[in-house]
Amino acid sequence: MNQKDIKLFTPFTVVLLVIMVVGGLAAIYRVFFGLGVSTNLNDTWPWGLWITFDVLGGVALAAGGFVIGGAVYILNWKKYEPIVRPAILNAFFGYALAATSITLDIGVPWRIWHPLVMWQVNSIMFIVAIHVVLYTTTLATESSPLIFEKLKMRKAFHFVEGIMPGIALFGVLLSLLHQSSLGAVFLIAPEKVSPLWYSSKLPYMFLVSAVMLALSMVSFETILSSRVFKHKPPMDILLGMARGSLIVGGLYLILKVWDLITGPGIGRAVNGSLTSNMYLLEMILGIILPLILLSMKNVRTQLNGIFTVNILVIMGTVLNRLNVGIISMAEYNGRMGYDYFPSLMEFLVTMAMVAFAILGFKISVKYLNVLRLEH
Amino acid sequence: MSMNRRDFLKTAAAGSGALLASTVTPAFASMPKELPPQAVGILYDATLCIGCKSCVVNCKTYNSVSGGALYLKDRTVSYDVNPAEPYWDAANELSSKTLNVIKVNKTGTAVNKDSVENGYSFIKQHCLHCISPACASVCPVGALSKSPVTGVVTYDKDKCFGCRYCMIACPFNIPRYEYERAIPQVRKCQLCHHRFEEGKYSACCEFCPTGASIFGKVLDLRKEAQKRLTLKTGDDYDFPVQTVDSKEKSRRTVSKYINHVYGLKEAGGTQYLLLAGVPFEMLGFNKNISEDVLPDLTWAYIAKIPAVIAAVLIGGTATWAITRKRNKDREG
Amino acid sequence: MKELEEGSMVEETICGFSRRDFLKFCSTLAVGMGLPVGMGATIAEAVTTQKRPPVLWLSAQECTGCTETLLRANHPTLEKLILELISLEYHETLLVGSGKQAEEWRVNAMKEYKGKYILVVDGSIPVKDNGIYCKIGGKTAMSLLVEMAADAAAVVAIGSCSSWGGIPSADPNPTGATAAHEVLKSKGIKTPVVNIPGCPPNPYNFLSTVLYFVTFKKLPELDDQARPKFAYGRLIHENCERRPHFDAGRFALQFGDEGHRKGYCLYKLGCKGPETFANCPVQLFNDVGSGAWPVGTGAPCFGCTEKGVGFTVPLFAPARPKYLTPPSLFTEVYPHKEGVSPGVKALAAGFAGAAIGAAGAAMIGGLGKKDIDTKDKGE
Repeated sequence: MNQKDIKLFTPFTVVLLVIMVVGGLAAIYRVFFGLGVSTNLNDTWPWGLWITFDVLGGVALAAGGFVIGGAVYILNWKKYEPIVRPAILNAFFGYALAATSITLDIGVPWRIWHPLVMWQVNSIMFIVAIHVVLYTTTLATESSPLIFEKLKMRKAFHFVEGIMPGIALFGVLLSLLHQSSLGAVFLIAPEKVSPLWYSSKLPYMFLVSAVMLALSMVSFETILSSRVFKHKPPMDILLGMARGSLIVGGLYLILKVWDLITGPGIGRAVNGSLTSNMYLLEMILGIILPLILLSMKNVRTQLNGIFTVNILVIMGTVLNRLNVGIISMAEYNGRMGYDYFPSLMEFLVTMAMVAFAILGFKISVKYLNVLRLEH
Repeated sequence: MSMNRRDFLKTAAAGSGALLASTVTPAFASMPKELPPQAVGILYDATLCIGCKSCVVNCKTYNSVSGGALYLKDRTVSYDVNPAEPYWDAANELSSKTLNVIKVNKTGTAVNKDSVENGYSFIKQHCLHCISPACASVCPVGALSKSPVTGVVTYDKDKCFGCRYCMIACPFNIPRYEYERAIPQVRKCQLCHHRFEEGKYSACCEFCPTGASIFGKVLDLRKEAQKRLTLKTGDDYDFPVQTVDSKEKSRRTVSKYINHVYGLKEAGGTQYLLLAGVPFEMLGFNKNISEDVLPDLTWAYIAKIPAVIAAVLIGGTATWAITRKRNKDREG
Repeated sequence: MKELEEGSMVEETICGFSRRDFLKFCSTLAVGMGLPVGMGATIAEAVTTQKRPPVLWLSAQECTGCTETLLRANHPTLEKLILELISLEYHETLLVGSGKQAEEWRVNAMKEYKGKYILVVDGSIPVKDNGIYCKIGGKTAMSLLVEMAADAAAVVAIGSCSSWGGIPSADPNPTGATAAHEVLKSKGIKTPVVNIPGCPPNPYNFLSTVLYFVTFKKLPELDDQARPKFAYGRLIHENCERRPHFDAGRFALQFGDEGHRKGYCLYKLGCKGPETFANCPVQLFNDVGSGAWPVGTGAPCFGCTEKGVGFTVPLFAPARPKYLTPPSLFTEVYPHKEGVSPGVKALAAGFAGAAIGAAGAAMIGGLGKKDIDTKDKGE
């Protein structure tokens, strides 16, 4: 398919635009009138949908940038070059989504710059803030060749492409640190977070699951864009990533099971309570089923099979972030404090963020040489 | 492609060196673990508390003035107001307008004071001013900080940008947020430190009629608390009123205590100590709170970061160089 | 009229009462003022042994409600007691005579009891246009007040009108209705004034104050508005029997609705209890038992005793509490049962449902189909 053939104003795009406008209005309302009237956050549940889904989930879903970037530029696995641009671009939109969400979620949005100048080095959130800013800049830099190419700025293009390994290394470093830091955020609350999830290894679990998710997410995006923009999906790349998922997923499973056995014990996971059911669901959807499927050759080598596994891993890992952020603290909170269910505006803003990422990618594909389609 | 391997390695080494230098976190950056020398605090004896809530009311009154923890330019006293309707509702929970609240725990018919069986006990909930506060350790901008002299954990509203991590971190669920305002603040007890200059102390202690809440140096409060645990139930004792070293005493019979001073060790030790006649878990203290110093749990991860940075930069550069050469060899 | 108690021996009577009943009355008054046990006897002694203290009663812009309220003090019946407990020398409504004779009697009483009589004032004093809007016997109320107060031992302003202006002083106050103490102050009269506001005030507030003065020769402890603290020291809100409903957020929203019929708090119907100082919920009215006061009958207090509230603030506007008082309600340490709260449960169900749904659809749709055969691509 040619770039010219990509229609921008399809019904789907219009829907996305509407969602973005409505969500944007909700965001404006939130800024002017405060969190109390726009969200259902309260003193028992200071973090809700925006933190767990938009920020934790968004950052995890955008891990593809550093995984593929690292594979292509540091490990020099040139086989994956065709997907490095979309992976990085998607990561950029993912981080932009997360950064915008966190700006809306904090109590005083226009003070988002505070952690950059007021340093408190004991705080994981301080480290996350610095890293997110640096990494979003890194992703922007890694995506800049697309712009330079379009604007025919040859010198700039070649310069950035030249130092790309350095930038990619920087990106890998930052990602390793803050993907795990987001897990480390919850280390401070062992008495609140259910032992099903709480562990001193929580940062590493977040990191490994982010890598696993990265592979599935990039694969999912590749297959999806091949269907939407009507070009042949790169099977060797997809197969390679599927194999990688099997390995990383296996590692994640070992980490989680080991932690369960040496921690609360298997009994805690099967006692029928809400938290244990959510834990099992996350494990089954996100790890166990995918691993079973991936280990079957005729699934792993089929496009549909790979796509199915991708969806399972995405659902399971996002569920994990939601579980750690909300469900894991539900039992103690339920007895003491208030209830929480996201408000309409929280959903609207979240949907608008996702719509923005999708639309942003589509526009980029149309106007920039992301997928290396014919002109 | 202009840069050769040597140049790149040089750049990477230099870059990583610079990064390391800027992110090296000195040992003393981690949270304090010792009680400050002039540490002050409060001792609450639930067996003396009669639930009059004078402490709740006076905390609001004396913190609503300039410099106080409840101060807002456009209000004189902090009523708990339902934002949907501008009427006054009673303070039934810590909130953005209530820094200190009295609650009750009842069992059975609830007729025996400070008894587990068919009994009831009051509990005064407010910030415990931990020796190694989790809230201050997680605040990314240092809005919550512990005074190195008095140990009071104070809040700087001009630094705070509202991430609410402190609310997740506090094991006692103390910090509350002004969700109802467009420019919100975190609200929690600050021990009336704004009154120390005038020679005054926490309003709750000043106005407690029975001596259930007394103010003083933490070391003295610890001694007093431990002394009470050695007294015989049924004997008379002259309980100090308002401050631990006060001359004014209230002679009462000693009740049966649970043989534990809460706050000596919990969460690494706190400056608000409690005594009660019923187990502290019944009074709302999460039973999973251990003696672990909470900031240490995060520091264990943070301290590793410089090493990770070095390892990734060095290892990554090496990997890049090696794999590039391998690719070149394969092609050539 | 001699009334003998049933079954008793013939007893000494005081003012037509048995000594026992009289002592009971004095004790009741003493208790109502918060005086120690035994003071009842002291009061009884003071009242019966002294020459009855003279009282002159000046009525200005009044509705006679304050006189009416005194006549509603029920037990024992007070008409006799009041008229013989004190020597009521002048009262425009109750006097038998009128006109010139009444005024002459007033002047004589003032001369005879100069410096000794208690001046009771009810009704506000109009000051506009030299006070022509209220004249008694051709003299303005303003000048009469000044004249009578100058020679009085004490001035008791009964009712909101004389205490702070009351209903005649409501916006736009065309007559310049003013409180008695303000008029006296502006004219430099130094006689001590005590205010007993209310519309009308509880008769026992007035009686207790007067008896206290007669017994101890001084006024009881007064607040900064010269109101006796024993009656006006606390907000109605602090003693209201519906306070637990206020603290728990149970309000009547409309007259006659379920909340109103259940006796819930009337704050949202405009009850001014939180900003009104009075002892109505404690003293009650008409000696008929509990609930005999406005709120008790389901009518929100409108702040009749309080300057700036009664006849000033709209009836149904919510009161602004004057200061914090501790609520009578306690929250439980653990307000909910164990387990996950319903909203979070719903959220979990939502996530799980979405995840399972998507996964299920993917698996059903995706697996087993041979879309692109990759065998020739190799592993």
